[in-house]
Amino acid sequence: MDEPSTNAALVEKLTLPFPVLSDPDGERAIRPFDLWHGEKGVARPALVVVGPEGEELMRQVGGEFSDRMSEPELVDRVRALAEEREVEPVDQPPPTVEEPDPSDGAFPEDAMTPYFKGVKFAAIALGMRAPQAKQEAEALRDEAERYLEAASRREQRG
Amino acid sequence: MTVPDFTLTDQAGRPWTLSDHRGELVVLVFYRGDW
Repeated sequence: MDEPSTNAALVEKLTLPFPVLSDPDGERAIRPFDLWHGEKGVARPALVVVGPEGEELMRQVGGEFSDRMSEPELVDRVRALAEEREVEPVDQPPPTVEEPDPSDGAFPEDAMTPYFKGVKFAAIALGMRAPQAKQEAEALRDEAERYLEAASRREQRG
Repeated sequence: MTVPDFTLTDQAGRPWTLSDHRGELVVLVFYRGDW
């Protein structure tokens, strides 16, 4: 959907080792692949694996981005498909990873735990005050707890 | 079923054509954009 210049910034920022293609109005690929979300005017989140003869081997269309197939699962599926069809892996230049250089405005790592503690208790308070948002508040609380548990395991490992 | 062929512009402004990649497995990830 995005213009090439926006994609260039993204590729540079994330050092992506694959091309990011632009189909701003969806006419060239998104619509021909039947992945246009008319109501929203965007592409549906989807994975399509195309075989060596241009045939469609796999398609997963999500309702939203969170239900996209996980990366390890996708890699396994693609490996299996490649083996079945005896397709050799193609060398791809590895991503160039530079030393991280967080800006002065970046959130320091040691601020994360107090931050997520704050999120957790704010979520609990929100859930009590706004029963109509109870489910969302509980989801947010659980997310904060998962972060805190992970941070605590990491501290224990040193 | 053969998928529709297309040529799109990559982030550097170069054309990228699906049918140039016959003989390979290609994973296309569609996302909504607007990052």
